[in-house]
Amino acid sequence: MGLRSLLEWAWSGISGALRSPSAAGLFRRADRLRHDGQYEEAERLVAEGLRRSPNSAAGHLLAAYLHLALREPGPAREAFEHALSLDPEHPRALLGLARLAIEESNLERARPYLERALQYHADFPEARALQEMIAGWAPLSVAAPAAGRPSTGVPERLRLLPGGRDLIMARADGVVVLAQGGQERQGQLAPHITQVSRIASTTLARAGLGALRRGVIESVSETTYLQTDVGLVLAITLPNSVAPGAGLAELARLWTELAREG
Amino acid sequence: MAAFGQQGSPLDLAATPRMPRAREFRHVLGELSRLAGVRGGLIVSPDGLVVTADLPPRIPAEALAALAATLGRELEVGAQQLGREAFNTAFFSADDGAVFVGGSPIGFLVLVADASADPASVTHTLRRALSRLEGTWRGAHGG
Repeated sequence: MGLRSLLEWAWSGISGALRSPSAAGLFRRADRLRHDGQYEEAERLVAEGLRRSPNSAAGHLLAAYLHLALREPGPAREAFEHALSLDPEHPRALLGLARLAIEESNLERARPYLERALQYHADFPEARALQEMIAGWAPLSVAAPAAGRPSTGVPERLRLLPGGRDLIMARADGVVVLAQGGQERQGQLAPHITQVSRIASTTLARAGLGALRRGVIESVSETTYLQTDVGLVLAITLPNSVAPGAGLAELARLWTELAREG
Repeated sequence: MAAFGQQGSPLDLAATPRMPRAREFRHVLGELSRLAGVRGGLIVSPDGLVVTADLPPRIPAEALAALAATLGRELEVGAQQLGREAFNTAFFSADDGAVFVGGSPIGFLVLVADASADPASVTHTLRRALSRLEGTWRGAHGG
Protein backbone atom coordinates (compact mmCIF):
# COMPACT_ATOMS: atom_id res chain seq x y z
CA MET A 1 0.00 0.00 0.00
CA GLY A 2 1.44 3.36 -1.02
CA LEU A 3 1.75 6.28 1.31
CA ARG A 4 -1.17 8.08 -0.33
CA SER A 5 -3.44 5.03 -0.02
CA LEU A 6 -2.33 4.52 3.54
CA LEU A 7 -3.16 8.13 4.43
CA GLU A 8 -6.52 7.88 2.67
CA TRP A 9 -7.32 4.67 4.51
CA ALA A 10 -6.29 6.20 7.85
CA TRP A 11 -8.28 9.37 7.20
CA SER A 12 -11.30 7.36 6.15
CA GLY A 13 -11.14 5.50 9.47
CA ILE A 14 -10.74 8.70 11.48
CA SER A 15 -13.52 10.57 9.71
CA GLY A 16 -15.75 7.50 9.92
CA ALA A 17 -15.19 7.38 13.67
CA LEU A 18 -15.94 11.08 13.94
CA ARG A 19 -19.13 10.67 11.94
CA SER A 20 -20.12 7.59 13.86
CA PRO A 21 -20.47 8.20 17.59
CA SER A 22 -19.93 5.40 20.08
CA ALA A 23 -22.82 3.44 21.58
CA ALA A 24 -22.26 5.32 24.84
CA GLY A 25 -22.49 8.60 22.96
CA LEU A 26 -25.73 7.53 21.31
CA PHE A 27 -27.19 6.54 24.68
CA ARG A 28 -26.20 9.89 26.18
CA ARG A 29 -27.89 11.74 23.35
CA ALA A 30 -30.92 9.51 23.55
CA ASP A 31 -31.22 10.26 27.26
CA ARG A 32 -31.10 13.98 26.55
CA LEU A 33 -33.87 13.55 23.98
CA ARG A 34 -35.84 11.53 26.53
CA HIS A 35 -35.58 14.40 28.99
CA ASP A 36 -36.94 16.62 26.23
CA GLY A 37 -39.93 14.33 25.64
CA GLN A 38 -38.68 13.22 22.20
CA TYR A 39 -39.24 9.55 22.87
CA GLU A 40 -39.41 8.18 19.34
CA GLU A 41 -36.24 9.92 18.26
CA ALA A 42 -34.53 8.72 21.40
CA GLU A 43 -35.75 5.17 20.76
CA ARG A 44 -34.14 5.22 17.33
CA LEU A 45 -30.78 6.25 18.77
CA VAL A 46 -31.02 3.58 21.47
CA ALA A 47 -31.78 0.91 18.86
CA GLU A 48 -28.69 1.97 16.92
CA GLY A 49 -26.63 2.03 20.14
CA LEU A 50 -27.77 -1.47 21.05
CA ARG A 51 -26.93 -2.68 17.57
CA ARG A 52 -23.36 -1.53 18.24
CA SER A 53 -23.25 -2.63 21.86
CA PRO A 54 -25.89 -5.33 22.44
CA ASN A 55 -24.73 -6.15 25.96
CA SER A 56 -25.05 -2.67 27.38
CA ALA A 57 -27.24 -2.78 30.50
CA ALA A 58 -27.54 1.01 30.32
CA GLY A 59 -28.78 0.74 26.75
CA HIS A 60 -31.42 -1.85 27.58
CA LEU A 61 -32.50 0.21 30.58
CA LEU A 62 -32.90 3.27 28.40
CA ALA A 63 -34.84 1.20 25.87
CA ALA A 64 -37.14 0.06 28.68
CA TYR A 65 -37.75 3.63 29.83
CA LEU A 66 -38.61 4.70 26.31
CA HIS A 67 -41.02 1.79 25.83
CA LEU A 68 -42.73 2.85 29.05
CA ALA A 69 -42.83 6.46 27.90
CA LEU A 70 -44.46 5.27 24.67
CA ARG A 71 -46.92 3.15 26.67
CA GLU A 72 -45.50 -0.19 25.51
CA PRO A 73 -45.41 -2.24 28.72
CA GLY A 74 -44.63 -5.62 27.11
CA PRO A 75 -41.44 -4.51 25.32
CA ALA A 76 -40.55 -2.43 28.40
CA ARG A 77 -40.65 -5.53 30.59
CA GLU A 78 -38.46 -7.46 28.16
CA ALA A 79 -35.92 -4.63 28.09
CA PHE A 80 -35.87 -4.31 31.89
CA GLU A 81 -35.39 -8.07 32.19
CA HIS A 82 -32.59 -7.92 29.63
CA ALA A 83 -30.89 -5.13 31.63
CA LEU A 84 -31.30 -7.18 34.79
CA SER A 85 -29.82 -10.28 33.14
CA LEU A 86 -26.71 -8.20 32.41
CA ASP A 87 -26.63 -6.50 35.82
CA PRO A 88 -28.68 -8.48 38.35
CA GLU A 89 -28.46 -5.75 40.98
CA HIS A 90 -29.45 -2.85 38.78
CA PRO A 91 -31.80 -0.88 41.05
CA ARG A 92 -33.52 1.03 38.27
CA ALA A 93 -34.28 -2.13 36.32
CA LEU A 94 -35.72 -3.59 39.52
CA LEU A 95 -37.78 -0.43 40.06
CA GLY A 96 -39.04 -0.57 36.49
CA LEU A 97 -40.20 -4.17 36.87
CA ALA A 98 -41.88 -3.26 40.16
CA ARG A 99 -43.72 -0.40 38.48
CA LEU A 100 -44.99 -2.73 35.75
CA ALA A 101 -46.13 -5.26 38.34
CA ILE A 102 -48.03 -2.53 40.23
CA GLU A 103 -49.58 -1.46 36.93
CA GLU A 104 -50.88 -5.03 36.62
CA SER A 105 -52.05 -4.96 40.27
CA ASN A 106 -49.61 -7.80 40.94
CA LEU A 107 -48.37 -6.80 44.39
CA GLU A 108 -46.77 -10.16 45.10
CA ARG A 109 -44.48 -9.67 42.14
CA ALA A 110 -43.81 -5.98 42.85
CA ARG A 111 -42.71 -6.38 46.47
CA PRO A 112 -39.54 -8.48 45.94
CA TYR A 113 -38.34 -6.16 43.16
CA LEU A 114 -38.68 -3.15 45.46
CA GLU A 115 -37.03 -4.97 48.35
CA ARG A 116 -34.08 -5.90 46.16
CA ALA A 117 -33.77 -2.36 44.77
CA LEU A 118 -33.70 -0.93 48.30
CA GLN A 119 -31.34 -3.63 49.51
CA TYR A 120 -28.74 -2.47 47.00
CA HIS A 121 -29.56 1.24 47.29
CA ALA A 122 -31.25 2.15 50.55
CA ASP A 123 -31.43 5.82 49.54
CA PHE A 124 -33.72 5.42 46.55
CA PRO A 125 -36.72 7.72 46.99
CA GLU A 126 -38.83 6.41 44.11
CA ALA A 127 -38.50 2.78 45.23
CA ARG A 128 -39.10 3.77 48.86
CA ALA A 129 -42.25 5.73 47.90
CA LEU A 130 -43.69 2.78 45.96
CA GLN A 131 -42.75 0.30 48.68
CA GLU A 132 -44.46 2.41 51.33
CA MET A 133 -47.47 2.84 49.05
CA ILE A 134 -48.13 -0.87 48.62
CA ALA A 135 -47.00 -1.90 52.13
CA GLY A 136 -50.49 -1.77 53.60
CA TRP A 137 -52.41 -2.86 50.56
CA ALA A 138 -54.42 -6.03 50.69
CA PRO A 139 -54.20 -8.11 47.51
CA LEU A 140 -57.04 -7.24 45.18
CA SER A 141 -59.71 -9.89 45.33
CA VAL A 142 -61.56 -11.19 42.36
CA ALA A 143 -64.53 -8.90 42.59
CA ALA A 144 -66.99 -11.22 44.24
CA PRO A 145 -69.79 -9.38 45.99
CA ALA A 146 -69.60 -9.10 49.75
CA ALA A 147 -72.05 -11.27 51.64
CA GLY A 148 -75.50 -9.90 52.26
CA ARG A 149 -75.53 -7.47 49.33
CA PRO A 150 -76.93 -7.77 45.85
CA SER A 151 -74.22 -7.73 43.21
CA THR A 152 -76.45 -6.47 40.43
CA GLY A 153 -79.61 -4.47 40.20
CA VAL A 154 -79.61 -1.44 42.43
CA PRO A 155 -82.66 -0.19 44.36
CA GLU A 156 -84.82 2.46 42.75
CA ARG A 157 -83.62 5.23 45.05
CA LEU A 158 -80.05 4.56 43.90
CA ARG A 159 -81.02 5.00 40.25
CA LEU A 160 -78.51 7.31 38.54
CA LEU A 161 -79.14 10.51 36.61
CA PRO A 162 -79.92 9.92 32.90
CA GLY A 163 -76.83 8.75 31.04
CA GLY A 164 -75.14 7.67 34.26
CA ARG A 165 -73.46 4.27 34.53
CA ASP A 166 -70.97 2.12 36.38
CA LEU A 167 -72.27 2.73 39.89
CA ILE A 168 -70.03 0.73 42.21
CA MET A 169 -69.18 0.57 45.88
CA ALA A 170 -66.12 -1.49 46.75
CA ARG A 171 -64.00 -2.25 49.78
CA ALA A 172 -60.31 -1.42 49.98
CA ASP A 173 -59.47 -4.96 48.84
CA GLY A 174 -61.61 -4.56 45.72
CA VAL A 175 -64.52 -6.67 46.92
CA VAL A 176 -67.74 -5.29 45.47
CA VAL A 177 -70.29 -4.16 48.05
CA LEU A 178 -72.85 -2.95 45.56
CA ALA A 179 -72.79 -2.44 41.82
CA GLN A 180 -74.75 -1.76 38.71
CA GLY A 181 -74.06 -3.97 35.71
CA GLY A 182 -72.91 -7.52 35.14
CA GLN A 183 -70.28 -9.54 36.96
CA GLU A 184 -67.75 -9.12 34.17
CA ARG A 185 -68.03 -5.35 34.25
CA GLN A 186 -67.78 -5.33 38.04
CA GLY A 187 -64.70 -7.51 37.83
CA GLN A 188 -62.98 -4.85 35.72
CA LEU A 189 -64.37 -1.82 37.49
CA ALA A 190 -63.76 -2.67 41.14
CA PRO A 191 -59.97 -3.25 40.90
CA HIS A 192 -59.53 -0.07 38.87
CA ILE A 193 -61.54 2.15 41.22
CA THR A 194 -59.81 0.61 44.22
CA GLN A 195 -56.35 1.11 42.71
CA VAL A 196 -57.08 4.72 41.76
CA SER A 197 -58.29 5.55 45.26
CA ARG A 198 -55.30 3.81 46.89
CA ILE A 199 -52.69 5.50 44.70
CA ALA A 200 -54.41 8.90 44.90
CA SER A 201 -54.62 8.58 48.66
CA THR A 202 -50.88 7.90 48.94
CA THR A 203 -50.07 10.75 46.54
CA LEU A 204 -52.15 13.22 48.57
CA ALA A 205 -50.53 12.05 51.79
CA ARG A 206 -47.05 12.38 50.28
CA ALA A 207 -47.90 15.97 49.31
CA GLY A 208 -48.96 16.59 52.92
CA LEU A 209 -52.62 17.15 52.08
CA GLY A 210 -54.36 14.41 54.09
CA ALA A 211 -56.56 11.47 53.19
CA LEU A 212 -58.47 11.17 49.91
CA ARG A 213 -62.07 12.34 50.09
CA ARG A 214 -63.20 12.81 46.52
CA GLY A 215 -61.99 12.37 42.99
CA VAL A 216 -63.15 13.63 39.61
CA ILE A 217 -61.77 11.95 36.47
CA GLU A 218 -62.74 13.68 33.27
CA SER A 219 -62.62 12.47 29.67
CA VAL A 220 -64.06 14.05 26.54
CA SER A 221 -67.67 13.02 27.02
CA GLU A 222 -68.03 11.65 30.54
CA THR A 223 -66.70 12.07 34.05
CA THR A 224 -66.17 9.56 36.84
CA TYR A 225 -66.79 10.78 40.38
CA LEU A 226 -65.54 8.92 43.41
CA GLN A 227 -65.80 9.34 47.14
CA THR A 228 -64.03 7.41 49.88
CA ASP A 229 -64.57 6.95 53.57
CA VAL A 230 -64.40 4.22 56.23
CA GLY A 231 -62.53 1.84 53.93
CA LEU A 232 -65.07 2.07 51.12
CA VAL A 233 -65.01 3.75 47.75
CA LEU A 234 -68.16 4.76 45.85
CA ALA A 235 -67.94 5.71 42.17
CA ILE A 236 -70.29 6.70 39.38
CA THR A 237 -69.78 7.83 35.79
CA LEU A 238 -71.94 10.59 34.36
CA PRO A 239 -72.08 12.36 31.00
CA ASN A 240 -70.34 15.71 30.79
CA SER A 241 -73.71 17.36 30.27
CA VAL A 242 -73.98 17.05 34.07
CA ALA A 243 -72.01 19.87 35.67
CA PRO A 244 -69.24 18.78 38.07
CA GLY A 245 -71.06 20.34 41.03
CA ALA A 246 -74.20 18.36 40.19
CA GLY A 247 -72.12 15.21 39.72
CA LEU A 248 -70.56 15.55 43.14
CA ALA A 249 -73.99 16.28 44.63
CA GLU A 250 -75.35 13.11 43.02
CA LEU A 251 -72.47 11.14 44.49
CA ALA A 252 -73.12 12.62 47.94
CA ARG A 253 -76.81 11.73 47.62
CA LEU A 254 -75.99 8.13 46.80
CA TRP A 255 -73.51 7.94 49.67
CA THR A 256 -76.16 9.21 52.09
CA GLU A 257 -78.69 6.70 50.79
CA LEU A 258 -76.22 3.85 51.20
CA ALA A 259 -75.22 5.01 54.67
CA ARG A 260 -78.90 5.12 55.65
CA GLU A 261 -79.26 1.59 54.43
CA GLY A 262 -76.21 0.62 56.51
CA MET B 1 -39.43 13.42 12.82
CA ALA B 2 -38.79 17.12 12.69
CA ALA B 3 -35.63 17.03 14.80
CA PHE B 4 -33.98 14.67 12.36
CA GLY B 5 -35.73 16.01 9.29
CA GLN B 6 -34.16 19.40 9.81
CA GLN B 7 -30.72 18.01 10.31
CA GLY B 8 -30.48 15.25 7.76
CA SER B 9 -31.61 11.72 7.25
CA PRO B 10 -33.28 9.78 10.09
CA LEU B 11 -29.99 8.02 10.65
CA ASP B 12 -27.88 11.16 10.74
CA LEU B 13 -26.55 9.98 14.05
CA ALA B 14 -23.79 12.54 14.34
CA ALA B 15 -26.22 15.44 14.20
CA THR B 16 -26.80 17.41 17.37
CA PRO B 17 -30.43 17.15 18.50
CA ARG B 18 -32.38 20.30 19.20
CA MET B 19 -33.52 20.84 22.79
CA PRO B 20 -36.30 23.37 22.34
CA ARG B 21 -38.93 21.94 24.59
CA ALA B 22 -37.49 21.90 28.09
CA ARG B 23 -37.91 25.64 28.28
CA GLU B 24 -41.50 25.36 27.06
CA PHE B 25 -42.29 22.71 29.71
CA ARG B 26 -40.84 24.92 32.46
CA HIS B 27 -42.81 27.88 31.17
CA VAL B 28 -46.12 25.97 31.13
CA LEU B 29 -45.53 24.66 34.64
CA GLY B 30 -44.42 28.06 35.91
CA GLU B 31 -47.65 29.64 34.69
CA LEU B 32 -49.77 26.96 36.36
CA SER B 33 -47.82 27.31 39.61
CA ARG B 34 -48.89 30.94 39.81
CA LEU B 35 -52.61 30.07 39.92
CA ALA B 36 -54.36 30.93 43.18
CA GLY B 37 -53.94 28.10 45.68
CA VAL B 38 -51.49 26.09 43.56
CA ARG B 39 -48.32 25.35 45.51
CA GLY B 40 -46.40 23.86 42.64
CA GLY B 41 -46.23 20.93 40.30
CA LEU B 42 -44.23 18.77 37.99
CA ILE B 43 -44.26 17.09 34.62
CA VAL B 44 -43.41 13.41 34.86
CA SER B 45 -42.98 10.95 32.01
CA PRO B 46 -44.90 7.64 32.15
CA ASP B 47 -41.68 5.91 33.26
CA GLY B 48 -41.41 8.22 36.27
CA LEU B 49 -38.75 10.62 34.98
CA VAL B 50 -39.14 14.14 36.35
CA VAL B 51 -39.14 16.22 33.17
CA THR B 52 -39.44 19.44 35.13
CA ALA B 53 -40.57 20.31 38.65
CA ASP B 54 -41.49 23.40 40.58
CA LEU B 55 -42.41 22.19 44.05
CA PRO B 56 -42.03 23.50 47.57
CA PRO B 57 -38.84 22.09 49.14
CA ARG B 58 -40.74 19.98 51.65
CA ILE B 59 -42.39 17.94 48.86
CA PRO B 60 -39.85 15.46 47.44
CA ALA B 61 -40.05 15.59 43.66
CA GLU B 62 -38.77 12.05 42.93
CA ALA B 63 -41.15 10.37 45.35
CA LEU B 64 -44.13 12.43 44.22
CA ALA B 65 -43.22 11.78 40.58
CA ALA B 66 -43.09 8.02 41.16
CA LEU B 67 -46.54 8.08 42.73
CA ALA B 68 -48.04 10.49 40.20
CA ALA B 69 -46.75 8.46 37.25
CA THR B 70 -48.26 5.33 38.81
CA LEU B 71 -51.56 7.17 39.27
CA GLY B 72 -51.48 8.52 35.73
CA ARG B 73 -50.79 5.09 34.29
CA GLU B 74 -53.61 3.54 36.34
CA LEU B 75 -55.98 6.17 34.94
CA GLU B 76 -54.81 5.41 31.40
CA VAL B 77 -54.72 1.62 31.65
CA GLY B 78 -57.99 1.44 33.59
CA ALA B 79 -59.79 3.51 30.97
CA GLN B 80 -58.48 1.22 28.21
CA GLN B 81 -59.53 -1.91 30.04
CA LEU B 82 -63.00 -0.52 30.73
CA GLY B 83 -63.44 0.59 27.11
CA ARG B 84 -63.65 4.19 28.20
CA GLU B 85 -62.21 7.28 26.55
CA ALA B 86 -58.74 8.31 27.69
CA PHE B 87 -58.79 10.60 30.70
CA ASN B 88 -57.92 14.25 30.15
CA THR B 89 -57.77 15.61 33.65
CA ALA B 90 -58.42 14.38 37.16
CA PHE B 91 -58.36 15.88 40.59
CA PHE B 92 -58.30 14.22 43.95
CA SER B 93 -59.17 16.22 47.02
CA ALA B 94 -58.34 15.81 50.69
CA ASP B 95 -59.04 17.97 53.72
CA ASP B 96 -55.98 20.17 53.18
CA GLY B 97 -55.85 20.43 49.41
CA ALA B 98 -55.92 18.58 46.14
CA VAL B 99 -53.74 16.98 43.51
CA PHE B 100 -54.57 17.63 39.86
CA VAL B 101 -53.35 15.31 37.08
CA GLY B 102 -53.46 15.93 33.35
CA GLY B 103 -52.61 13.32 30.73
CA SER B 104 -50.57 14.05 27.62
CA PRO B 105 -48.37 12.12 25.17
CA ILE B 106 -45.31 13.43 27.01
CA GLY B 107 -46.56 12.16 30.34
CA PHE B 108 -48.47 13.65 33.23
CA LEU B 109 -48.77 17.25 34.35
CA VAL B 110 -49.31 17.23 38.11
CA LEU B 111 -50.30 20.15 40.32
CA VAL B 112 -50.38 20.29 44.10
CA ALA B 113 -52.87 22.79 45.50
CA ASP B 114 -54.05 23.86 48.91
CA ALA B 115 -57.66 23.92 50.03
CA SER B 116 -58.17 27.48 48.74
CA ALA B 117 -57.71 26.45 45.09
CA ASP B 118 -60.83 26.49 42.92
CA PRO B 119 -60.99 23.05 41.24
CA ALA B 120 -63.01 24.32 38.27
CA SER B 121 -60.61 27.16 37.57
CA VAL B 122 -57.48 25.04 38.00
CA THR B 123 -58.92 22.26 35.83
CA HIS B 124 -59.83 24.76 33.11
CA THR B 125 -56.31 26.20 33.07
CA LEU B 126 -54.79 22.73 33.25
CA ARG B 127 -56.75 21.72 30.15
CA ARG B 128 -55.37 24.70 28.25
CA ALA B 129 -51.85 23.88 29.39
CA LEU B 130 -52.28 20.29 28.20
CA SER B 131 -53.39 21.51 24.78
CA ARG B 132 -50.28 23.64 24.64
CA LEU B 133 -48.06 20.72 25.62
CA GLU B 134 -49.73 18.54 23.03
CA GLY B 135 -49.23 21.25 20.41
CA THR B 136 -45.53 21.34 21.25
CA TRP B 137 -45.42 17.56 21.06
CA ARG B 138 -47.21 17.37 17.71
CA GLY B 139 -45.08 20.18 16.29
CA ALA B 140 -41.93 18.29 17.15
CA HIS B 141 -43.39 15.06 15.73
CA GLY B 142 -44.55 16.59 12.48
CA GLY B 143 -48.20 15.95 13.37
